[in-house]
Amino acid sequence: MAGPEGDVTTVEPARLPPYVLTGGRARPVDERLEIEALVVATPVGRGERARLQFEPGDIVSLCREPHAIVEVAALLGLQLGVTRVLVGDLVATGHLSVSRPAWQAGRKAEIIERVIRGLDSIT
Amino acid sequence: MDSTASPEPVVPIPVKIVIAGGFGVGKTTAVGAISEIPVLSTEASITEVAAAIDRTGHTPAKTQTTVALDFGRITIDEEIKLYLFGTPGQDRFGFMWRDLVEGAFGALVIVDTRRLDDCYPAVDYFEKIGLPFVVAVNLFDGQLDHKLDDVRWALAIPDRVPVVTIDARVRRSVRDALVILLRRALEDLVPEEPKAEERPRAGARHAE
Repeated sequence: MAGPEGDVTTVEPARLPPYVLTGGRARPVDERLEIEALVVATPVGRGERARLQFEPGDIVSLCREPHAIVEVAALLGLQLGVTRVLVGDLVATGHLSVSRPAWQAGRKAEIIERVIRGLDSIT
Repeated sequence: MDSTASPEPVVPIPVKIVIAGGFGVGKTTAVGAISEIPVLSTEASITEVAAAIDRTGHTPAKTQTTVALDFGRITIDEEIKLYLFGTPGQDRFGFMWRDLVEGAFGALVIVDTRRLDDCYPAVDYFEKIGLPFVVAVNLFDGQLDHKLDDVRWALAIPDRVPVVTIDARVRRSVRDALVILLRRALEDLVPEEPKAEERPRAGARHAE
C-alpha cells in the first residue's frame, strides 16, 4: 500500500505544550481506547473535513485510510496521549469510526490461528 | 481507491504483540526485521511518582516524562493487522506497560546473556499478569554464550514458558519466535485440550 508513510520514520513533535491541543485533558473520552485501535474517517468526517482545523483536520485527512492511533501519532508528530484524546473526541462526534481488538474477543483463537498462518507465509 | 461501491472502507482488526527486554537488547531491531513499514516511533508521556519523597514536603512529586515507543506493522490478511510494540527499556515505566500490554496476544522477551538481569522486570511482570510469553535469547555474533537451560534456571522461568534462540536481525528468526509465542497463547486459550503434538510434559500445566 502506498500510504502517506513514505520513508519517514520520525517526525518532530509539536512545539506547543502537548496538552494545549486537548484543552488540558489527558484522558480520552473513552478511557480504554487502545493505542492499536484502528480508526478511519466516516462519511460524516470526510464530508466535514474542510470545517475541521489543525490537528483534528489532519487526523481526519490521514484517516481516509485506516490507521492505528499509534500510527496517527507517529505520522503526524503528535504525542501518543494527545492523539488518543483527539481521536476519542472525533469518534464521539462521528467523524471517525473505530475498530477495536476487544470487540473480537470471542474470535481470539481463530484470529491467532490466522496470524500464525500469515506469519508462516513470510519468507 | 474506488469508493463508489462501498462508502465505508473496511476497517481491519488490530492485534498486537509486545517485544520486551532490557535496553539495547535488540527489540527495535527485531521489530524492524519483520515489519512491513520502517519502524515508527512516537513520543508517549508517562506520569511517574517520584520514588523519593522530597525532604521539604510530604507528598511524592509527580513528574511528566516522555519515552519513545517504537512499533511496526504486519498485514496478516485483508481483515487483520498485527502491530509489534517494543517496550521502553526500563522497568520504571510500568505505568506505560499496562497500556501496552492490555489486549496483547503475548510478549517476546529478548535476552542478552551478557546482561541477563536486564530482562528480569519483563519476565516478572508478564508472569504476574499471566500474559503468555516466550524468552528469546538473542544470538549476538551468532554465538550462544550460555546453554538455554542455564538461562531458564538463572531467570527462574517455568517449564511452560518456551526459551528459544533468536537472531533479531533475521526476519525468519523473528517470525519463528513469534509463531512459537502464538502457539503458546493458543494453548492458554484451550487449556483443557492441548493439541496432541504440543502436549506439555505431564504435570507441567498443573504445577501450581
